[in-house]
Amino acid sequence: MIPEQTQPIRLAIDMPQSASATNAPTTDTSAPSPADASQSAEELCIEISHFNAWYGSFQAIHDLSLDIRRNQVTAFIGPSGCGKSTLLRWINRMNDIVPTAHSNGTLRIHDLDVLSPSTDVVHLRRQVGMVFQKPNPFPKTIYENVAFGPRLHLKLRRGELDELVEWSLRKAAVWDEVKDRLNAPALGLSGGQQQRLCIARAIAVGPEILLMDEPCSALDPASTLAIEDLIYELREQYTIVMVTHNMQQASRCSDRTAFFFEGRLVESGPTDDVFTKPQQKRTDDYVRGRFG
Amino acid sequence: MNIESTTPVAPNDSESQRPVPEAIRQGASATTESTQNSQRRIRRSKTFYGICVSVSFLSIVVLAVLLISIAVQGRSRLTPTLLTGAHSTSEPASSGMYPAIIGSLSICAVCALSALPLGIGTAIFLEEFQPTNPWLRRLHGFLNLNISNLAGVPSIVYGLLGLSLFVFMFNAFGQIKVNESSGTELMGVERYYQILTLAGGGDSVLVRQTDLALPTITITEPIEAVDRDGNTFRLEVWDPKSGTPKPKDPATQHRTVRLGQSGGAYAKTSWYYFRLPFGRSFLAAGLTLSLVILPIVIIAAQEALRSVSPSLREASYGLGATKWQTVRNVSLPAAIPGIMTGAILAMGRAIGEAAPILVVLGATVAKNSGPQNLMDTVVTMPVLIFHWAGDPQVTYQQLAAAAIIVLLLVLLLMNSLAIYLRQKIRVE
Ligand SMILES: Nc1ncnc2c1ncn2[C@@H]1O[C@H](COP(=O)(O)OP(=O)(O)OP(=O)(O)O)[C@@H](O)[C@H]1O
Ligand SMILES: [Mg+2]
Repeated sequence: MIPEQTQPIRLAIDMPQSASATNAPTTDTSAPSPADASQSAEELCIEISHFNAWYGSFQAIHDLSLDIRRNQVTAFIGPSGCGKSTLLRWINRMNDIVPTAHSNGTLRIHDLDVLSPSTDVVHLRRQVGMVFQKPNPFPKTIYENVAFGPRLHLKLRRGELDELVEWSLRKAAVWDEVKDRLNAPALGLSGGQQQRLCIARAIAVGPEILLMDEPCSALDPASTLAIEDLIYELREQYTIVMVTHNMQQASRCSDRTAFFFEGRLVESGPTDDVFTKPQQKRTDDYVRGRFG
Repeated sequence: MNIESTTPVAPNDSESQRPVPEAIRQGASATTESTQNSQRRIRRSKTFYGICVSVSFLSIVVLAVLLISIAVQGRSRLTPTLLTGAHSTSEPASSGMYPAIIGSLSICAVCALSALPLGIGTAIFLEEFQPTNPWLRRLHGFLNLNISNLAGVPSIVYGLLGLSLFVFMFNAFGQIKVNESSGTELMGVERYYQILTLAGGGDSVLVRQTDLALPTITITEPIEAVDRDGNTFRLEVWDPKSGTPKPKDPATQHRTVRLGQSGGAYAKTSWYYFRLPFGRSFLAAGLTLSLVILPIVIIAAQEALRSVSPSLREASYGLGATKWQTVRNVSLPAAIPGIMTGAILAMGRAIGEAAPILVVLGATVAKNSGPQNLMDTVVTMPVLIFHWAGDPQVTYQQLAAAAIIVLLLVLLLMNSLAIYLRQKIRVE
């Protein structure tokens, strides 16, 4: 994680870059290029094929096929209502909560058939953590928030739990900010800190995949950059799928990008390719901000 | 991204050429007409505010008048005797409401212990679970629809329901008769006949009652008996006509009865005495009141659970929590303050209810202690107040006023306790 002081500088670097649409994919000098990593790890992690999803009789996703690779950041982009969140919420079966939601097709994580009714969703959700659009810490202390997940699954001694909480908070790059007030209410943190706390909470149960639904959309630019840096770091150990409406964010911190439109996958590929030489006219229009 | 550099897309083009509606253009400029309009609306708003203030003031005045008149009337009877004594028909001046306070509190305890878990459980079922089973789903929908209707049912109807459901249990276990063994006794009671011995001075021994249908026994031959300490011994019979002299030794006298001596039934009950049906007992009354407040508790708990942010639930599920873990660790803790508020209101309602109690327990106030066992009847504060207030004697009228003050104080105490608990939970 880049120290706090350098954030304004990064901000300064990013601003001019984002102003010109044509050279958007220029690699960011202050962080390793997404392109570097995309070469190394190509192992398949989530395999989606011919996937359809409905809310009642409304079909939100049509015949969608997509591979998500391990230890990469995959960004879902597309106009509002195109089904990004829906797909994300099917990956960890979060849509089970919605009574009208149903789906068919194939959605596998390694060997696990996610959609099968016999799948143990508790185990699945432990493997696939989720971070939501709005930071949603529990109205408990910071410590209790991070300890919540591990406590659900394991019987840990106090010392082990302390260690796990510290590890998670360090990993989520908030440890330095909260280490002196672990027993303070989590709702007293700033929005950006809350969101990183939520990330810490998600990784404390030891997931392999992290789903992030617009994790920065409720945050200010500085917090956004902190989270983006964090996502970059986390990629080493986690497979990350994130939804974003921010083109710069997608280009800055994702390895691969998938563009959705009206419930269909229009195009997916390495982020550089999607942004510089999109195959589809609609993708081109969207990444250039012509609609959406 | 830079939007200026790209040509605008066609649909936007025609949108921008649409003329601004007349109404908006007018509204935006501050003409005298629109200023007058807003002045008028401000005046109207102020009038409305004034009406609201005076209406709420009026209700406070009515309440104050009520409280003051009661305080004035009951002032002279607010004595320690009021809190320690029992109702007395012969001496109104030494009457008190101790049995009624204990009675009301014990009924409230039964009521809270049964209605709160049931009500909160139902609310959790209704709010947190979407059953997949079609029958359960139908039940779910049916309950949801009808609970608010139940809250509007007059409490006397619940009284009648309680009467047949708890007091008589539809006579499935036999008819309950006053002062008589009846129903199916499950535990906590031993039945005896009490028989006077030769020792005199009211000295008696107990003989186990085997046939509950016989209210009395006549001793004609030696029989096994039990003394006050619970030791069994053989009870001897002395026949005055046989010519044998009456035993002189007190110990022997204590173990001997006159031939033909009869004894009445005597029941030794423990606090856990339990029988079916419940009869006119405080248990039946408490359960009946719990029917009255159940809909209130359910609705309040439902409301409280509904106001818990769905994002918290999602966060919990997202971490792999099961439904129960989510309810237990997230929804319930967040809803507890709201649930407690509902519970306070409901308990206030329960402690003040007279109608269902009158139906279930009857209007009797002749009791000088709290309940001795689960099947014991009680006097409650509202019923005692009802009784006193209806008496022509001035002393009883004053007592009624004083008892109302005590009832209000007990309510206030209960509420403050609940608010204190709620605050404590909230802080944690
Ligand atoms: N719980 C629901 N019940 C019914 N329809 C829903 C539900 N959630 C989403 N939808 C519909 O499904 C479609 C896809 O929604 P989804 O939330 O996946 O869009 P999205 O791409 O995430 O949009 P956004 O970028 O605005 O978050 C939308 O048309 C939406 O109206
Ligand atoms: Mg969404």
